[in-house]
Amino acid sequence: MSDVFFLAEFVGGAPARSAQELATGAAALAKQSGGSAVGLAYGEGAAEGAAGLGAWGAARAVVLGDSNAPAITHAAAAASAVRDGELALLAPATPNGRDLAAAMVGLLGVPAFGPVRAVRFEDGRLRAEASTLQGTSVTISEPVDGAPSPAVVLVLAGTFTPEEGSGTSAVESVETDGGPLAAEHVTESHAEGKAAVNLEEAQVIVAGGRGVGSAEGFAQLQQLADALGGAVGASRAAADAGWVPYQLQIGQTGKVVKPALYLAAGISGAIQHRVGMQTAENVVAINKDPDAPIGEFADLFVVGDLFAIIPKLTEEIRRRKGA
Amino acid sequence: MKIVVCVKQVPATTAEKRYTPDFRLDRASAESVINPLDEYAIEQALRLQEAGTVESVAYLSMGPEQAAEALRRALAMGGDEAYLVTDDGLAGADAWATARVLAAALDKLAPDVALMGMASDDAKGSLVPGAVAALRGLPLLSYGSELRLEDSVARIRRLNATGYDIIEAALPVVASVTDQVGEPRYASLKGIMAAKRKPLENWTLADVGIGADELHGAALTRVVEVRPPEAKAPTERIENLPAEEAATRIADWLGARKLI
Repeated sequence: MSDVFFLAEFVGGAPARSAQELATGAAALAKQSGGSAVGLAYGEGAAEGAAGLGAWGAARAVVLGDSNAPAITHAAAAASAVRDGELALLAPATPNGRDLAAAMVGLLGVPAFGPVRAVRFEDGRLRAEASTLQGTSVTISEPVDGAPSPAVVLVLAGTFTPEEGSGTSAVESVETDGGPLAAEHVTESHAEGKAAVNLEEAQVIVAGGRGVGSAEGFAQLQQLADALGGAVGASRAAADAGWVPYQLQIGQTGKVVKPALYLAAGISGAIQHRVGMQTAENVVAINKDPDAPIGEFADLFVVGDLFAIIPKLTEEIRRRKGA
Repeated sequence: MKIVVCVKQVPATTAEKRYTPDFRLDRASAESVINPLDEYAIEQALRLQEAGTVESVAYLSMGPEQAAEALRRALAMGGDEAYLVTDDGLAGADAWATARVLAAALDKLAPDVALMGMASDDAKGSLVPGAVAALRGLPLLSYGSELRLEDSVARIRRLNATGYDIIEAALPVVASVTDQVGEPRYASLKGIMAAKRKPLENWTLADVGIGADELHGAALTRVVEVRPPEAKAPTERIENLPAEEAATRIADWLGARKLI
């Protein structure tokens, strides 16, 4: 009656960072509610890797499908793997996670929360905490009395920190014909350039915006990111300009990230960008405009020329790391 | 071929927003606009109509009576007709209730493509397209940076880890598009005048075949508390320093937080 399910996406044979985070979070929540954490595994390598979800606390794992098919095609399997009366289904707030979570809402008629930055079991109820109205409010929500379950909870990247142990999940599989939601097919797949670093996993992100001015400017940011052991991200303006691929875009229509350090160079900090990075633990902004909106929410705001400061900073970081 | 674009009216990004005493967004107090991400879905639909692929473009919204303004604005961009599901029983609707109502209205309109923006500015869940697809028993083509239609098949171009995929499904489908489909057009004066004469129909819950008792009071979720975020330490500023010195100061700041 109190199990916590989570979506476990596999990429290239291994559980994605989101699967590790949600397994850890589901295990913690299940401990509060007196149930078990159950992984719903899909993606390439899910069949073989599902048992490994036990390392992050999943008691059981259900394999929905082992292929590169669009995530939504596993909706019917996911719906048949959960049961009314169980507490929650945690889903990553990524496009794939949202699609599957949305299908659960439609197929099962269950409540949906999020994207949340915390989820708890309190007074016998599920409580979800979200940041709303552009970060000016925090709301706590719960299912209404008599609502079917499990409640679907979209969870932002970085909400839970993976804690890896040594357990093994009992693995089950489900049989479904997939239904109408399994009718999508990938007919072409195009790779453009090298695999981008997964921004949702990066602990340090050096992001550039309109002020970076060119692809060459981004090469400077890459050097700083390399020195810090991090990844490069971008605002929509920089992706639209073609200086970086859209895979690096952070913001409302790009990735939502929560690194330990977010260093924004030449990014004004419009609300659409802010919603993609506002939960970063430390925000450093470099901008030549002393009135840029990012100056209002950065932890450290450096007014100056990024082209002069970034190379010096890269040098200084290398020097200190080498020392 | 017929497309229905689902449009949501939301408070303007810049509008001052507040909650009502029962923790609902006070929509009456805020300046309202078409959800900016829905404008890309409108643009995609109108481009397909201009290309001759699609004969008719209609708009569908669920909201208070004032949401008709958003539909008029959509009609001013182009398209043929609009439908607004408005009912006292829908105040405070959550993602599930919204999807139920839109799915019922779409079943009635029976378009080849029900097209939506990738997210709404206020709720940010991106749950409605997938929930509507599941409720209607139709394929979902989501997060398209382009939608193409030919030979009873819909195709979207969707970003993957390093490039993009083409994903297809047989019509009818539910689809959502991103802000990469192309910049939404502005309504011309002529378009605004023309929109006043285009049909805009109001539907109640009963008109789409949903009984008021089927919606759990329009929401399966409730907000029990709203509070301000934890106070954040004030921003430290570094100004008017030579680059080298500024770089040293940043490195010191990072070092003090064990980020190097």
